[in-house]
Amino acid sequence: MGALTLLKPDLYGPAAADAGGNPAGPPVLHGGECRCGAVFFPLQPYGCEVCGRHGDDLRPRALAGRGALIAAAVVHIHQNRPGPGAPARQAPFVVGSIALDDGPVVRTLLDAAEAPEPGARMEARLVETGGETPTLDLRFAPVA
Amino acid sequence: MPRKLTDNRAVYVVGVGWHRYQPASETPYVMLGIPAIRMALEDAGIGFDAVDSAYVGAALLGMAAGRPMLRHLGASGLPLVHIENASASGSAAFRHACIEVAAGMADVSLVVGVDKPAPVRRAGTETGIPSLADDAIVPFTHFALLTNEYAHRHGVSPEDVALVAVKNHRNGSLNPHAHRQKERSLDEILGGKRVSGSLTALQCCPVGEGAAAAIVASEEGIRRLGIDMSRAVRVTASAASSEKAGQFGGADAAITGDTMKAALAQAGRKATEVDVLELHDAFTIEELHYVEAMGVCAPGQAIHLLKEGAFDIGGQVAVSPSGGLIAMGHPIGPTGVGQVGEIAMQLRGEAGPRQHRDAKVGMAHMVGVGAVCYVHMFERA
Repeated sequence: MGALTLLKPDLYGPAAADAGGNPAGPPVLHGGECRCGAVFFPLQPYGCEVCGRHGDDLRPRALAGRGALIAAAVVHIHQNRPGPGAPARQAPFVVGSIALDDGPVVRTLLDAAEAPEPGARMEARLVETGGETPTLDLRFAPVA
Repeated sequence: MPRKLTDNRAVYVVGVGWHRYQPASETPYVMLGIPAIRMALEDAGIGFDAVDSAYVGAALLGMAAGRPMLRHLGASGLPLVHIENASASGSAAFRHACIEVAAGMADVSLVVGVDKPAPVRRAGTETGIPSLADDAIVPFTHFALLTNEYAHRHGVSPEDVALVAVKNHRNGSLNPHAHRQKERSLDEILGGKRVSGSLTALQCCPVGEGAAAAIVASEEGIRRLGIDMSRAVRVTASAASSEKAGQFGGADAAITGDTMKAALAQAGRKATEVDVLELHDAFTIEELHYVEAMGVCAPGQAIHLLKEGAFDIGGQVAVSPSGGLIAMGHPIGPTGVGQVGEIAMQLRGEAGPRQHRDAKVGMAHMVGVGAVCYVHMFERA
């Protein structure tokens, strides 16, 4: 990963290292788990959507960056209004809904030229974004 | 146990009106709302001085739009309130006017939805909780994803889904208040500008400007003011809900199913007894989701009924005879109020070329970002 920084380090990061010092699997998403058992993404301290518990009842939980594609779409039109959390994007780009193996459903950008078939196995990866100061951002892509 | 609307005084729709839904223009919102209100008052045969309270559904106009508009009808000092509830702003305004009249705190209440397009600031993006790329997944892409999921699950083609738009553009071509009043062929719809996934521009609702108004009244108000009871339409159900935990992605259809079933129970009707259904078809796939959620047919079967003409005016149930959001348009604040107007016209037998034969039971359905859901039911008094 070299000197490149992560675009949204609060949301994801490399998987924990294995015995050889390399990430053991695809990047992880920084989710949470409530005392009631609800698993959610992203981690937040405000309160559990299922039971309303908050504070210390909500703990960080790393979610494996693996799942199954529910749906995907090539976005043909995008009003480019960059702002906080909304970097400049040029259509077309591909987005998808992914049911993570660890439970939550996430929606985000796919690293794919076309929309993969629903049901496809997906994995997270960190890809270099363009721009003046290249950073790494999370994408999902079909498992080769 | 909480009481239902119908456990209280009976509520009737006695007047409806519109300003045509249209692309954004120089017309101030005041001159969109006032003509719609005057049309509704005239339809009811009453003056503004007979109105006890006013509910203004608007999402995009900014703070306190009501009084600068209503004062030109003769400022009577009536209580007025603004309701913002995303796409369901007008439906929420209608529900709360009905509740006030049912409770006996007003005999006649005005509901007006009015809006003009404006940049939208969504509080949901300002919670302080970051997202992976929510800025890249705007509403049309949310529904493009749901289209892809539905098509894959039920073996339905994008061409099939677009047939919803063929029907609704045809209905809109017969509606003088519709934003889009042109019949469109399947080829035109599929060959149009690509938006997201398989959605094309003519499968997405236009968001323009306009207004819709409705007058609701109690029996006491109707008698006292000499309103024609033979044209009154009874509100037989009002149900509302919001998204529950774990419904991510499929929330709109899930809460639609629950809320429609609650409304049907209140009205003592079965899904198959609804003659006229105005629903939130901001995007083609939604019509299929919601008729299935309602229980008109099994999941995945709506497309077959659509192809047989079951949802046409004159079919088993006329779905969005106004043209729906796809053709009638979706100016936000007016949308839910305009649905009530269309159903009133249908149940009175006054819908002209859009008239569904023998329309007795009507249902209006809206969802809004959040997600929230509203369902109202109506029968001829």
